[in-house]
Amino acid sequence: MSQDPSSINGGSAVAMIGKDCLAIACDLRLGSQSLGVSNDFEKIFNYGPNVFLALCGLGTDVITLNEVFRYKTNLYKYKEERTIEPETFANLVSSSLYERRFGPYFVSPIVGGINSKTGKPFICSFDLIGCIDFTKDFAVAGTATDQLYGMCESLYEPNLEPEDLFETISQALLNAVDRDALSGWGAVVYLITKDKVVKRLLKTRQD
Amino acid sequence: MDHDPFRWGRPRDDIYGKYDYSIANSEHYFQEHKDKYSEFPRMNTQEPIVTGTSVIGIKFEDGIIMAADNLGSYGSLSRFTDIERLIEFNDKTVVGISGDISDLQKIERLLEELKIESSYDDVNIEFQADNIHKYLRNVLYSRRNKMDPLWNSLIVGGIGSDNEPFLKYVDLLGVEYASPALSTGFGNYLAIPILRKFLEEKGIDETKTDSDNFRNIKEEEARKCVLECMKVLFYRDARSLNKFSIVTISKKNGIKLEKNLKIEDMSWEFAKDIKGYGNGQRY
Amino acid sequence: MSSDYSNIKDSAPIEHRFNPYSDNGGTILGIAGEDFAVLAGDTRHTTGYSINSRYEPKVFDVGDNIIMSANGFSADGNSLITNFKTNLQWYHFNNNEEKLKISSAARLIQHLLYGKRFFPYYVHTIIAGLDENGKGAVYSFDPVGSYEREQCRAGGAAASLIMPFLDNQVNFKNQANQPLRYLSLNEVLSLVKDAFSSATERHIHVGDYLEILIVTKEGVRTELYPLKRD
Repeated sequence: MSQDPSSINGGSAVAMIGKDCLAIACDLRLGSQSLGVSNDFEKIFNYGPNVFLALCGLGTDVITLNEVFRYKTNLYKYKEERTIEPETFANLVSSSLYERRFGPYFVSPIVGGINSKTGKPFICSFDLIGCIDFTKDFAVAGTATDQLYGMCESLYEPNLEPEDLFETISQALLNAVDRDALSGWGAVVYLITKDKVVKRLLKTRQD
Repeated sequence: MDHDPFRWGRPRDDIYGKYDYSIANSEHYFQEHKDKYSEFPRMNTQEPIVTGTSVIGIKFEDGIIMAADNLGSYGSLSRFTDIERLIEFNDKTVVGISGDISDLQKIERLLEELKIESSYDDVNIEFQADNIHKYLRNVLYSRRNKMDPLWNSLIVGGIGSDNEPFLKYVDLLGVEYASPALSTGFGNYLAIPILRKFLEEKGIDETKTDSDNFRNIKEEEARKCVLECMKVLFYRDARSLNKFSIVTISKKNGIKLEKNLKIEDMSWEFAKDIKGYGNGQRY
Repeated sequence: MSSDYSNIKDSAPIEHRFNPYSDNGGTILGIAGEDFAVLAGDTRHTTGYSINSRYEPKVFDVGDNIIMSANGFSADGNSLITNFKTNLQWYHFNNNEEKLKISSAARLIQHLLYGKRFFPYYVHTIIAGLDENGKGAVYSFDPVGSYEREQCRAGGAAASLIMPFLDNQVNFKNQANQPLRYLSLNEVLSLVKDAFSSATERHIHVGDYLEILIVTKEGVRTELYPLKRD
């Protein structure tokens, strides 16, 4: 039986950029191999008004890293007297992961946010040791990576309005996780614009 | 050392203990210990021993050109320097063989047998290149099904049943494919890029196999490109030789096998600039 | 006195076994319509990171208005298709040239695949054609012969990329209040092209050309489109 740490618990996430907005979404499953354990395991965390992080991979590392970044971003806020920008946070994620180069956290993170100065949406993804993949369209992660790439590559188009972007990312995630035994069991989408963040829970198949 | 005439040269059992045949992995050992080893079907080539390197081939106007060098390597040793790896089957079929040389000779015998067995009847069976390719692919595939492969990659070239130039690959697994430019082994990395660039410049559409598609490529140009590839292969393939054969089969002029060609106009100027690996930059 | 060699007598020889399989990449996709069916495949043939050929067709018209492709290890794929054609010939000889139903073709393929249950054909097989009522039919098989009739199926290297897209666009999965309906041939063809250009973008073993075979009651027709070559 497979003992790959990054596919024991399962789970997937995706982020997309639209016109002056972005969306980041994940499923809610946490399992132990084929056994479903929890259907409210959110993998998206936020560290400031407009900075979001999706963490897929080994469940224990997802929880640990959330705590690590909460700690680090709080310290950053005390020192700088402002919240962290998404680009800066991406570099924080990268260097924190690389610090564990030879004993890594088994996660694949996605950072998404809107820069408070420029107002430009930003997304990027990482491998488990912190190599950043900057992208201007979409980023995917988790056990349904292949399926998400197929969906995003065919459904995505640039400069979508927020509601259209919501529909696109939702369809991409839903149909992708339905073809992955380790992902699904509910989903959440964060739709982020300059002045508001909307969180929506999606109704999904429960098998 | 044992001086008994029947055991001459062997280590003496009373001094060194009984000789351990498993060291040499010899047949003798298996015969003695049949009970210990499962009766798995007898296998000949479990790994290649004496080997031949790349074979390359390309289509032109009304035929094909193929080339292979004359080296038989024994590991890293240049063991035999006059191995002919382009097998003429008839005046419209040639088989270029890389990989194990003993298996090459087996294939040679199979082809000879095929020729003899098909010539008894009065009906004159004239095999075309595609027929020979199909035959060899079935031989190789059935040997892989027996888990006793002929350890080779072949390129069959010539004129096919449709009276058009024919060039197709097949290997020890039975995997087969056709392309206007083909190569085995190292040539996939060194020769194919050169041949593909040449074809692209000639505006070849790889989805078409009719000779009209290749009308832009004259025999001389194709030959020049193949010579260039053989030169590059000799520069960078350590298991290669500067002595090689070229075969040309065309609808107009039939088959022409040129042996003992030497690589010409070599320049080893670049060699003095190579320092270590990589791009040679020093810190 | 005995030498040190005698002590290693029973040490197992290092094992270097011949691997009878390889993966030749490529991907295939079948969709059934109301009165037609398509089976499409890219024409790139690979081993490892090498492109062996940019045009090596793997979707075939095997006769009796049936199209077939066996994607995966190409030597096994070619053998399976040749074996099917041979069996079809014999069926014609033994049954006064009667046309083979696609459902029977599917059952035959199951037996061909299961016949090698303990040394399988390493392929994902899809056939397409029309059923007895003239409706489009697609059957897909696993390497050892499990099979099912479906509305659509992707197989091969990029199956995991294409299949969820098909669920969404052919069977309208996750699209509430979108009633099921048959797609027109033009809709299907543009879905196939989108699916393959997306797969080509993200999968290195997919590309070069897209060959689509279309079955209608008029017969089998082929269309060829270029894909990216990188």
